[in-house]
Amino acid sequence: MSRLLGVYAAAVYAFLHLPLIILGVFSFNASRFTVWEGFSLRWYRAALENPQLLEACWNSLLVAAAATLLATALGTLCAYGLWKRRSAPIEAGLYVSLVTPEVVMGISLLAFYQWLFRYFDVRLGMHTVVLAHVTFCLAYVVLVVLARLRTLEPALEEAAMDLGATEWQAFRRVTLPLAGPGIAAAALLCFALSFDDYVITSLVAGVDSETLPMVIYAMARRGVSPVVNAVSTAIVFGLGVFILLAERLRRA
Amino acid sequence: MSRLRSWFLAPAGLWIAFFVAAPLGVVAAYSLLTRGTYGGLSEPWTLENYLRLADPLYLKILARSFWIAGLTTLLCLILGFPLALFLARSGERKHLYLALVILPFWTSYLVRTYAWMFLLRDTGLVNTLLIEAGWLERPLALLYNDGAVILGLVHGHLPYMVLPLFATLERLDRSLVEAAGDLGAPPRETFFRVVVPLARPGIAAGSLLVFIPCLGAFLTPDLLGGGKTVMIGNLIQNQFTAARDWPFGAAASLALMVLVMLMLGLLLRRGGERFL
Amino acid sequence: MRRREFVVALPGLACRSGRPRLNVFNWSDYVAPETVPAFEAEFGVRVRYGTYESGEEMLAKVLSGNSGWDVVFPSNSLVEPMREQGLLAPLRHAWLPNLDNLEEGFRRPPWDPKLDWCVPYMWGGTGIACRREVTPPAGWASLWEERWRGRLTMLDDPAEVLGACLKKLGWSVNSTDPVELRRAGEEARAQKPLLRAYVNAEVRDQLVAGDVLAAQLWATTALQAMEETAELAFVWPAEGFPLYADNAVILRESGRVELAHRFIDYLLRPDVAVAVVKATKTATVNAKAKALLPERLRLNPVLYPPAEVLRRGEWFTALPAAAQRLRDRIWTEIRAA
Repeated sequence: MSRLLGVYAAAVYAFLHLPLIILGVFSFNASRFTVWEGFSLRWYRAALENPQLLEACWNSLLVAAAATLLATALGTLCAYGLWKRRSAPIEAGLYVSLVTPEVVMGISLLAFYQWLFRYFDVRLGMHTVVLAHVTFCLAYVVLVVLARLRTLEPALEEAAMDLGATEWQAFRRVTLPLAGPGIAAAALLCFALSFDDYVITSLVAGVDSETLPMVIYAMARRGVSPVVNAVSTAIVFGLGVFILLAERLRRA
Repeated sequence: MSRLRSWFLAPAGLWIAFFVAAPLGVVAAYSLLTRGTYGGLSEPWTLENYLRLADPLYLKILARSFWIAGLTTLLCLILGFPLALFLARSGERKHLYLALVILPFWTSYLVRTYAWMFLLRDTGLVNTLLIEAGWLERPLALLYNDGAVILGLVHGHLPYMVLPLFATLERLDRSLVEAAGDLGAPPRETFFRVVVPLARPGIAAGSLLVFIPCLGAFLTPDLLGGGKTVMIGNLIQNQFTAARDWPFGAAASLALMVLVMLMLGLLLRRGGERFL
Repeated sequence: MRRREFVVALPGLACRSGRPRLNVFNWSDYVAPETVPAFEAEFGVRVRYGTYESGEEMLAKVLSGNSGWDVVFPSNSLVEPMREQGLLAPLRHAWLPNLDNLEEGFRRPPWDPKLDWCVPYMWGGTGIACRREVTPPAGWASLWEERWRGRLTMLDDPAEVLGACLKKLGWSVNSTDPVELRRAGEEARAQKPLLRAYVNAEVRDQLVAGDVLAAQLWATTALQAMEETAELAFVWPAEGFPLYADNAVILRESGRVELAHRFIDYLLRPDVAVAVVKATKTATVNAKAKALLPERLRLNPVLYPPAEVLRRGEWFTALPAAAQRLRDRIWTEIRAA
């Protein structure tokens, strides 16, 4: 049974990683077409020499980091609150944000910003992108963290409080650590969602906030660009190494 | 009961009021206006945009979208459940394995979609390899059909299934499974009678996270389906872009959202399932 | 954006550098690599140059009247709607001495006869790109032939697909007649089983690789593909074809109107325009620049169709609401068929 499971998991991993591996391999191709013409780093060099691409990459990382931080914090607190006792308006709001198609969320936020701009002298920019990303990530965080909290025993907190812990201490010392894996999963999800978003971002981005998916869309629209392959490979590799290191540190 | 709870709920509540409810209010107002001569918004206020939705053409598109999104969800569940189970049981290394699930998703969805196009094209990798191996004479039409759309959607949404499943399965009490085994239940029986029911919150949450975005998807049908199929997402997106008919787009999206909310409500009531 | 500045100041709020800054929002791939840096160096300003992929994407942003952009490049059929909605600033010809470089026809274009609001920048048309190993299609009607089955693409754009069908039937690409439009829709549905896909510029690689034998395509995209392989040809359809032009406009919200004029005037310089044409393979509206182009480009019938071919072209125009709505309904029908 468990060996079978391992084989199955390996197959699913292969499916998940197949496009990525192809990207990686062909980012080292000397030719810009499907044919293999030998190993070359020319696309990496081209990527490094493209300031628009580098800036967009940096913008994307900033936005994703900020949005993940905010959304995970807000969402975890909210999930905890909902776990304790339901709240119809907040749940309804979260459901609504989940069922909103991306275009609609983008358009509605854009329209809302436009209305706000009448009263405040702000423009579209990084901040509007971050606000939008937190908005669509929030429900996902609550969903994932709450799924985890539901598997916990509420009696644990009560026990802690019976033993003299304050409400805050019970949350901080008992529930939060137990919810850890759920929170981590939610944060990873958030980061991926934010880093990846094209539809909403392209609508609410302003003059200084072009993100990576926007640049990639522009490049890829004109045919498969090996430069895009190179950037994607570099990012995955960089983040992969980062995760591995974090994992090592955590265990050490 | 607790003050802490209110404090914890407040920020998210305010956020929702500001960035979900208020913008949707604006969209609701749009849906009652009329398209201006050149695509802007103008008076009079009208319900006409909603009436236009009751058109067999749009209903057909809606039905199709439900079918594709449903199939995608099912496939994600079939692929994702064993993977989540594997993750939950891999002890020490589970964080590493979990990261491996998410890793491909740090490349842009667009890049992954283009990678699939690169694989599936006539002169793409799959066809080239099959032809060189002598298994095929002429390339298979792998790209630009519903199969390609579903493939792309499943690949793009699998982690949203795996993560919540993992979150529940990981907490699943191993002793229960062992007890079932000790009592003589065969593995299959244990799986369907013990593991699956206990994992229901995860299954529900995961399905929700996959089904809803798929319903509104428009980039995948465009890129992998070659624009030959329309999903409801394409219809809505088109109103906000090429057709420049914002009021109709707003009405269509609100109608879709209400429909999904109704289904969700039914599910919550009948199944007693809670996602949130 | 400089990263330290982001951390210190809230982005978008602060005016960071002493040098004045101009924000230009253009179609992707629409200037030469050196165009913007050379302008920055010469005028001692900074230019934030952003790109968009569709006119509607740009429009959705600038509709807010607070998008932050100064100069954008709508196509001819969008100029009128944008002016109508009060998004454009009137042009001051005194700041545009190079306006005289424009070709005769583009000094009085039908969409803005006195150039009060826009300056034409580049133009092009839609035709058929095909592989040389097949008999080239003579016109749109050939694209309904069985021989293309599975190896033909049309553009993913209602105006273009319906435009081709209308032309096939002998009508205007800007038709607003419901009967004509419905007939065009039927034509498109009849053609659909033959199609591989409705796809835009992405088709370029598939044409080059030979997956696709024929494609409805913009001349400029076709020319880019033809630069990569000699296996491709381009046909200006016999029945006629649509033409478009992209125009530089200054947004009313712009606080740097004079600098914006300087930028547009700079784009009108012959040497600048020549570099842009060489890089983008798109036809310039600039007569002086055209004269300076190498023969390979100047006499290229894909870039500059001869006069007798050009006569068959028809400019896209802005359409009234009812026609636009019917077209969208028909387009949805085609795609759902």
